[in-house]
Amino acid sequence: MTTSRGRRTARAGLAAGTSAVVLASCGVGANPVMNPELSEGEVTITVNWWGADARTQQTLEALELFEEEYPNISVEPQYSDWTGYWDRMATTTAAGDMADVSQFDQLYLASYAERGALMDLATVTNILDLSALGENVLDTGRVGDALFAVPTGATTNGILINTTLFERHGVPLPDTADWTWDEFESAAIELTEASGGEVNGVSPFGGDSFSLTTWARQHGDQLFDADGEVAIDPATLAAYWERELDLIDSGAAPSAGHLSEVQGLPLDQTDLVTGRTAMGFIPAGQFVSYQSAAPDFDYALANWPTDPDTSEGFQYLKPTMYWAAASTSEHPAEAALLLDFLTNDTRVAELFGLDRGEPANPAFREAVEPLLDEPGRESLAFTEAMSEEVGPTPPITPNGASHIENLLVRYNQQVLFDDATPQEAADDLLNELRDSINAAG
Amino acid sequence: MTDALKAAGPDEPPVISEAAALVRGKRSRRRVRTVLKHGVLVAVCLLMLYPLLWMVASSLRPNSDIFTSSGLFVDTFDFDHYPNGWDALSYPFSTYLLNSFLVVLGSVIGNLVSCSMAAYAFARLDFRAKRLTFVLMLLTIMLPIHVLIIPQYVFYAQLGWINTYLPLIVPKFLATDAFFIFLMVQFIRGIPRELDEAARIDGAGHVRIFGQIMLPLMIPALATTAIFTFIWTWNDFFTQLIFVTKPDLYTVPVALRSFIDAQSTSDFGAMFAMSVVSLIPVFLVFLFGQRFLLRGIATTGGK
Amino acid sequence: MSALGEFRSLSRSRRRAGAADQREQHRDNKAAAFFLAPWVVGLLGITIGPMIASLYLAFTDYNLLQDPEFTGLDNVRRLLSDDRLVESLKVTFTYVLVAVPLQLAVALGLAVLLDRGVRGLSLYRSILYLPSLLGASVAIAVLWRLVFGTEGLVNAFLALFGIEGPGWVSDPDTALGTLIILHIWTFGAPMVIFLAGLRQIPRELYEAASTEGASRKRQFFSITLPLLSPIIFFNLVLGLIGSFQSFTQAFIVSNGTGGPNDSTLFFSLYLYQEGFTSFRMGYASALAWLLLIIIGVFTALNFWASKYWVFYND
Repeated sequence: MTTSRGRRTARAGLAAGTSAVVLASCGVGANPVMNPELSEGEVTITVNWWGADARTQQTLEALELFEEEYPNISVEPQYSDWTGYWDRMATTTAAGDMADVSQFDQLYLASYAERGALMDLATVTNILDLSALGENVLDTGRVGDALFAVPTGATTNGILINTTLFERHGVPLPDTADWTWDEFESAAIELTEASGGEVNGVSPFGGDSFSLTTWARQHGDQLFDADGEVAIDPATLAAYWERELDLIDSGAAPSAGHLSEVQGLPLDQTDLVTGRTAMGFIPAGQFVSYQSAAPDFDYALANWPTDPDTSEGFQYLKPTMYWAAASTSEHPAEAALLLDFLTNDTRVAELFGLDRGEPANPAFREAVEPLLDEPGRESLAFTEAMSEEVGPTPPITPNGASHIENLLVRYNQQVLFDDATPQEAADDLLNELRDSINAAG
Repeated sequence: MTDALKAAGPDEPPVISEAAALVRGKRSRRRVRTVLKHGVLVAVCLLMLYPLLWMVASSLRPNSDIFTSSGLFVDTFDFDHYPNGWDALSYPFSTYLLNSFLVVLGSVIGNLVSCSMAAYAFARLDFRAKRLTFVLMLLTIMLPIHVLIIPQYVFYAQLGWINTYLPLIVPKFLATDAFFIFLMVQFIRGIPRELDEAARIDGAGHVRIFGQIMLPLMIPALATTAIFTFIWTWNDFFTQLIFVTKPDLYTVPVALRSFIDAQSTSDFGAMFAMSVVSLIPVFLVFLFGQRFLLRGIATTGGK
Repeated sequence: MSALGEFRSLSRSRRRAGAADQREQHRDNKAAAFFLAPWVVGLLGITIGPMIASLYLAFTDYNLLQDPEFTGLDNVRRLLSDDRLVESLKVTFTYVLVAVPLQLAVALGLAVLLDRGVRGLSLYRSILYLPSLLGASVAIAVLWRLVFGTEGLVNAFLALFGIEGPGWVSDPDTALGTLIILHIWTFGAPMVIFLAGLRQIPRELYEAASTEGASRKRQFFSITLPLLSPIIFFNLVLGLIGSFQSFTQAFIVSNGTGGPNDSTLFFSLYLYQEGFTSFRMGYASALAWLLLIIIGVFTALNFWASKYWVFYND
């Protein structure tokens, strides 16, 4: 906050009567300081992230290293689960009280950046050195022309295959090097049949924007354009759900009821982990998590199936998460210093491993590689192989579309329960999404 | 636990105050009814116990079994979840238990004092604009927290109360829980007026009547308030998440959520173990507190 | 019932005598100021400010991150043409009108059963209260899926009789019903309040009635129900207020989506989605005030009707 103490007290008085008055003057968007200086005195900054206990421990250790390196800066951590994280983020930001440094997701990046909540990183280039990251990587942190967030890593989409289940039921694995959608589907059906229905071949997509974007790109389409508008042809979205319905009808996938039940479950509870299904569409970077969640199974990763007419370069590197700083930070220099530390100090890489995605910084990748276990190496190798094939990175989720996952799940359920045809649901969803983006813009 | 229930005994004669007044012929019918009554209760109790037993069982299973077993039998015991969960976060779990306990203690005392006072005024005093005041009190609990939380946060931030327990406790001392005011109003109105009017004739003021006559008679209502405040505050997640962001001040519900990340693997076993641990205090409080529910007029020798 | 009649007329005469006394009225104002002081401070200092703020926000476009922008009746107009609002009202009303009375009936029945002469009373009471202790945690959400899932416990049981059950929480036709059952199952809170209320009924009344030869059923309807009516009324009013705002259960079971297919889109859940997921806090505030009006009307109706069935002995 840029207000003086005096004004604060005056506001406190007002607040008792009408907090509305306070709200009106408490929005974000302080005047940016160019090239702020590091303070000589004691400074405390806050850092905020979501994640489970393992990530919490790693991050705390990294922050300790930072404090050792810069003894006059102390770091106050905050952490919570995903849902609580965004509720708290919205509330604190609304009150002009956002943490100095926050972990971010591409879903929300534009929503916060366009509304002035995030620090324009061009103002801190005197402290934050991003030369290690490629331009195409940094592009994913840009909103408009300004850079607001530093990507920690990126991943493509991939198909997780439970090879144990295939072996157990005596179904040969298809050659996944360049398989077609037909081969994919018949392998799935074969497995369902061989297991007598105990297992289904595939968990289809239908309710997540990553798989939808990849699907759209297979068909030469895109979800959002560079202006932050909805760009996808409703027919492409309809075809995405039709493919889901086909997989259900053929027995490759479990019933619609079951699918609606498992939609949006935490990773540990998904069908892929419990062994209810054998293949599924995942962000490839989560391979390690799946493997450690289900130690009894062996998993493999494969690229999406293609057809002869499938567009080249449909895979792309999606940023897994970011670090960003608050525009209201009272210590922009120290916040930038922490961003720099988290981006460039390889000791951080050794602590984090692949937890925040396959590292975007090549130096990090080198530091991580020797420490990886077998699944980690496999995962890294996959991403590296894929990065030869990826196309240009699409624009991130625009302002006003941060609820797209909810929309996809909701309309997908209409399709699953036959309340709407894929075409109707696609039209409705895209209209609602357009309205929401226009209202936010 | 079924044994324990049976020990309570369907075939023992019931202890009923007016049993003596009954004629002999009614006895056998009564006995059939008692057996039936216990039968219903035991069946219902099993249904009630299942989730708790399942949670305990899950906290002893390997992580990979938790999401596939709805039964209560544990094949492979894994006791590690308890020590793991205790130390999984940045502070030992005792820190969060203690923090929650502090918040709960403040809330319970606050609600008992402030709500009983307000309730006495509404139930026993005639004052100007009483109806309007009562309506206003009820209106304050009709807005969902989600639209109030941001103005509240702004307000508490101005006071410098963020990252303290003041936003969680102070409102309780200011009778913002209209639920309990209304509850006690209804209880006080059930207490015959002769009791306090007799005292008034003896020259007692309202403060004395409230302290010496009402409060002892209200023990069931006070116990209800204390127990509910304890349990609801203990389980309340949202306000504790928003107003307290420093991990060393986290309370149990916030800490429990910190075990889970939807996008990667989480130690669900540890989370279950700590959930079980965090249930122990509430259960004990309920077991202990409920004996005060029994102290109605009937047993305190009132009219 | 003569004992009861005597009791009633006694309290009425007292009341008349008290109201006539003017000096008494004066003394009460001062005492009320003392007893209500904490509440008044709380109202003015803490409660009313945020309420006024949200009322103001209801007439603005407010995305949480930028200053609210006054838009007059725009949000009200949107309320009138919002299909999901209609959907959530349907869900919420069904839930409230079915779950509240049923839960109260179960709670009252068990409380009466437990109140008199059951051995091991405190054990039963604790066990019956357990579901309410567990709350709606992540652990419980996992359990519901195992129990009510397509391949869950309930369906495994039904399969014994050759019935193929639906996915109870994932099928739009049964999801709300399942949530209603889960709500009834947490009858612990009203039950405890009923138990405390039953304890307040003077035992002499029952003894007198028994001597006069009244049956248990008759005693229930002429002593228990009238004397417990203030508590029944309380549970009804607060049950309605609480269920209209019901949030956590649906949030946990549907992962915050209100699905499947909006079949568990409780009003508060919709409001939360608008405010926190879609960043439309202005509209969410308008929704909240609509909810306040709805709850207010229901509560007022309740108070009006209470004149005819709630008996106070003061």
